Amino acid sequence: MGRIELDDVTKRFGPETAVEDLNLDIEDEEFLVLVGPSGCGKSTTLRMIAGLETPTEGDVYIDGDHMNYRVPQNRDIAMVFQDYALYPHMTVRGNIGFGLEEEKGYTKAERGERVEEVAEMLGISELLDRKPDELSGGQQQRVALGRAIVRSPEAFLMDEPLANLDAKLRSEMRAELQNLQEMLEVTTVYVTHNQTEAMTMGDRIAVLDDGRLQQVGEPLELYHEPANRFVAGFIGEPMMNFLEGELDGGTLVTPYLDYSLDDDLRSAVGDATALTLGIRPEDIELEEFGGDPGSLGDHEYVMNVTVVEPHGNQNVVHLNHAGAEDEFDVLQAVTGGMEMLTVDEEVVVSIDPDLIHLFDGQSGQALHNRRMEAETELTQI
Amino acid sequence: MAQLELDHVTKVFQDDEEDEEIVAVDDVSIDIADEEFLVLVGPSGCGKSTTLRMIAGLETITDGEIRLGGRVLNDVRAQDRDIAMVFQSYALYPHMTVHENIAFGLEESTDLPDAEIDDRVHEATEMMGIDDLLERTPGELSGGQQQRVALGRAIVRDPDVFLMDEPLSNLDAKLRAEMRTELQRLQDQLGVTTVYVTHDQTEAMTMGDRIAVLDDGQLQQVGTPLECYHRPNNLFVAGFIGDPSMNFFPGEITDGTFVSDSIEYPLDDDTATDLDGQTEVTLGIRPEDVRVGEGSASDHTFEATVDVVEPQGDTNTVHLELDSGREFTATTNGRPKADEDDRVVVEFPPKAIHLFATRSGEALKNRDIEADQEVGNLLS
Amino acid sequence: MSQSRPTFDTASLVEDVSLTRIAQYILVVVFIGFFLVPLEAGFVTALKTNEAVARSLPFVPSLGDGFTLENLEFAFNQLRDSFVNSLLLALPATIVNVLLASMAAYGLTMVNWRGQLGFLILFLIGIFVPYQAVIVPLADFWNNIFPIAEMLAPTFAAIPLLAEYHSDLVPLIITDIAYGIPICTILFRSYYNSLPESLVEAAKIDGASIAKIYRRIILPISKPMFGVVFIYQFTQIYNEFLFAFTLIVAADAPAAPVTLLIPSLGASTSGINYGIRMSAAILAALPTILLYVAFAEQFAKGLRTESG
Repeated sequence: MGRIELDDVTKRFGPETAVEDLNLDIEDEEFLVLVGPSGCGKSTTLRMIAGLETPTEGDVYIDGDHMNYRVPQNRDIAMVFQDYALYPHMTVRGNIGFGLEEEKGYTKAERGERVEEVAEMLGISELLDRKPDELSGGQQQRVALGRAIVRSPEAFLMDEPLANLDAKLRSEMRAELQNLQEMLEVTTVYVTHNQTEAMTMGDRIAVLDDGRLQQVGEPLELYHEPANRFVAGFIGEPMMNFLEGELDGGTLVTPYLDYSLDDDLRSAVGDATALTLGIRPEDIELEEFGGDPGSLGDHEYVMNVTVVEPHGNQNVVHLNHAGAEDEFDVLQAVTGGMEMLTVDEEVVVSIDPDLIHLFDGQSGQALHNRRMEAETELTQI
Repeated sequence: MAQLELDHVTKVFQDDEEDEEIVAVDDVSIDIADEEFLVLVGPSGCGKSTTLRMIAGLETITDGEIRLGGRVLNDVRAQDRDIAMVFQSYALYPHMTVHENIAFGLEESTDLPDAEIDDRVHEATEMMGIDDLLERTPGELSGGQQQRVALGRAIVRDPDVFLMDEPLSNLDAKLRAEMRTELQRLQDQLGVTTVYVTHDQTEAMTMGDRIAVLDDGQLQQVGTPLECYHRPNNLFVAGFIGDPSMNFFPGEITDGTFVSDSIEYPLDDDTATDLDGQTEVTLGIRPEDVRVGEGSASDHTFEATVDVVEPQGDTNTVHLELDSGREFTATTNGRPKADEDDRVVVEFPPKAIHLFATRSGEALKNRDIEADQEVGNLLS
Repeated sequence: MSQSRPTFDTASLVEDVSLTRIAQYILVVVFIGFFLVPLEAGFVTALKTNEAVARSLPFVPSLGDGFTLENLEFAFNQLRDSFVNSLLLALPATIVNVLLASMAAYGLTMVNWRGQLGFLILFLIGIFVPYQAVIVPLADFWNNIFPIAEMLAPTFAAIPLLAEYHSDLVPLIITDIAYGIPICTILFRSYYNSLPESLVEAAKIDGASIAKIYRRIILPISKPMFGVVFIYQFTQIYNEFLFAFTLIVAADAPAAPVTLLIPSLGASTSGINYGIRMSAAILAALPTILLYVAFAEQFAKGLRTESG
């Protein structure tokens, strides 16, 4: 069974610590995504599972076997590299078949059949006799996948395989990759810096920052119940809005607005006085401002529209204080594609206390997360 | 006066080995207004980079003219064109400090005294937020910082035109989103005509004043982002702009009804007249317009099975399959109630559909915009 | 590779004419002349009789009486046996040299092991060993300590097409290989450094051993580099004089390579016959020229890869 366990794994390169005290268990047949910004240690972790790096401390197990000192050749894993690493002098057939040569239990004829089987699965049967430099990026990527699949390994390791593809091709390949993995039922560890890929592809996501594991869980869990500010800010696009401030009595005072907290929220916060309020752009409600400041309710504020980013299916609205001299915007909100606000328009911004997150201002730990959305019922059509 | 005109610009490459001609850019004409942010967008190999390089003077022009402020640029050397370019790989001089990198262009192409060059460098780096990095070399900078230096180098020359060739593609997704907004603001503030090349339609939509969509060397459409989104000229633009992509169903018109291998969709009389006698027609509908729910099939409603649900957090991309096996996507809000293999019912609201002539790809009818939908104010 | 051809019209050609342009072209012509005239003179001299050489300017060809093919004929006859010697020497030496160097470079760049740096330094030092400093111990080694030439003489006698004296070339071959490895290794090393590491990593994951990775992945990809290094090293070994002189000693030794013979050709008590000298030089240069022509494309590709 392709279960992978990382126990207290640490990797140091001289004075630099790339990965620190990583504990992660990947289930058999699971699609786990390692995600995080550049330099967070995700690629290094993948390479330690592959055997291309050796852990400085800690242990790596694949299928219960201790792997630390085993060479990559003997780990029964397959890897897809970001630059595909296809053998340039071999045909597609040669590339895919190369790994099979070392596999026992195949006759030459069986190897040939297996290569053709995999090529057909990936839709590249007509390309078998071409060389890599005669293929497009998307085709090369499929050959790289084929090379991994053909060996029926215990686990697939993928290092940002879609990064070199056009945006459109990337979206298409995402769905294909997922389907493939489900069909083949192979444990997969997938590295990316793109949170959309992580959210849509992973059974579970492991977020790393600066060598440390921030949180592991299902996509929606990380989205609605982030463990800390880093995860909250990393997962979700456009990014969650953060307002930093100090708790004064029952009100969070920030440089841009004051937010009163009810008893429940106050008790959730405990002793912390430095707080960061988080609210996702899609959770902010916008309404036209009638002109009367007295009409504003609790948690409602008047703001100015500075930029409207049209995405077609939605608009991202940047908001700032009227007459603010700062360049940047205080909040970003999302509206439907058909609603169009204009620049410099004044709007009423409503931040529902049920939807806010609160983080410790110093440690970044999540003190309170929004209520998870109830599953919406299917509408009657 | 920095109006940039591309007049029937064509670029043909001779492949000596294969003895072939490759038409990289085919008769492209675009008028770019002063201070406009124009995005050239399209898939790999569509000719967008080649077009940019012709404007820069890094490629010769096979046919047609490029004019800047009325002056024909065709035979003007790159050095003499008063254009600044930001490359995808930044192309910073690795042996020079940030200060020297940014000052280089000024030293080579102007007679400015050192003191003034120094001032300008400081101004540019302050604007980019990198004035504390002036003495570092590129090797000591992060990707995002390098990109700002590349931008600073372009800004400081105060050129007539900025050219940017996929400057954000080497950045992390998060950094890219931040830089997008920053770049836009910057361009707004500086008021310099900008031509920006990307393959990413999100960048095009959010950054451009107008978008020029290219495919295979040919110009498909030039318009504002929302125009290209809601009123695409043809199948290509409709499928390229928008993520997730528009769903397409090729079929035929029989007796005022659209018939395909998967669905039958009755069209109202107004729509039928728009069709102008075309019979081979493709129906298009954007994922966010597809309604997913329960119920029974009717005129514009069909039964489908859920294939995969991709949760994005605030929305879900639902991959569905009609009984014929044809796949399509829908975008739904909130936590998904639909699971894999569930049977659901989907509605394609008649106001939201697009119709295209299948063979030519031309748009016959684009979606309706209601009077109360504010976006209509922005569409011509 | 595609290039864009500028449209050709006479008008722009004429427009282009300026003082700078003319000066540039004159300079180009002068330099071409500088390089080609000696070659042309040599070639032309080879075809002249001795009297014609005395009578005419070096680069002026001689027709009629002064023209002769005798010099070439004579030089060829004199050099015939030594050509065989030179090729017997240079071809095996270069092949083994290049193969070993590529393996060494592979081991130094694409495999990780302790003490690599030390070995690399040894190789670097090897490049700078001056030949002149080692000729005495070298001669001593091959003549007295390990007289492999003598030992192999009977074996060579038994091989068809070869003669007993050809075993004298063996010490020279081994010496040339040994002294050629450092520079060739460094050349290969820079090439291998430019290859993406992910290729080797992918092969490891595919299950290939270090040796198999070399054989099936690195070796085939190295073809352009092999072309470059082969041409370079063949030329070095073929043209090599000092070691040949030290080990083979005399121009009239039966195993003497071409380099030993050339200085003595055309010299006689009545003076130097330039016609013969030039013929010998041209004939001697032919193998390397032919080799370059045969591998020209590889050479160019290899150079491009180096700098790319």
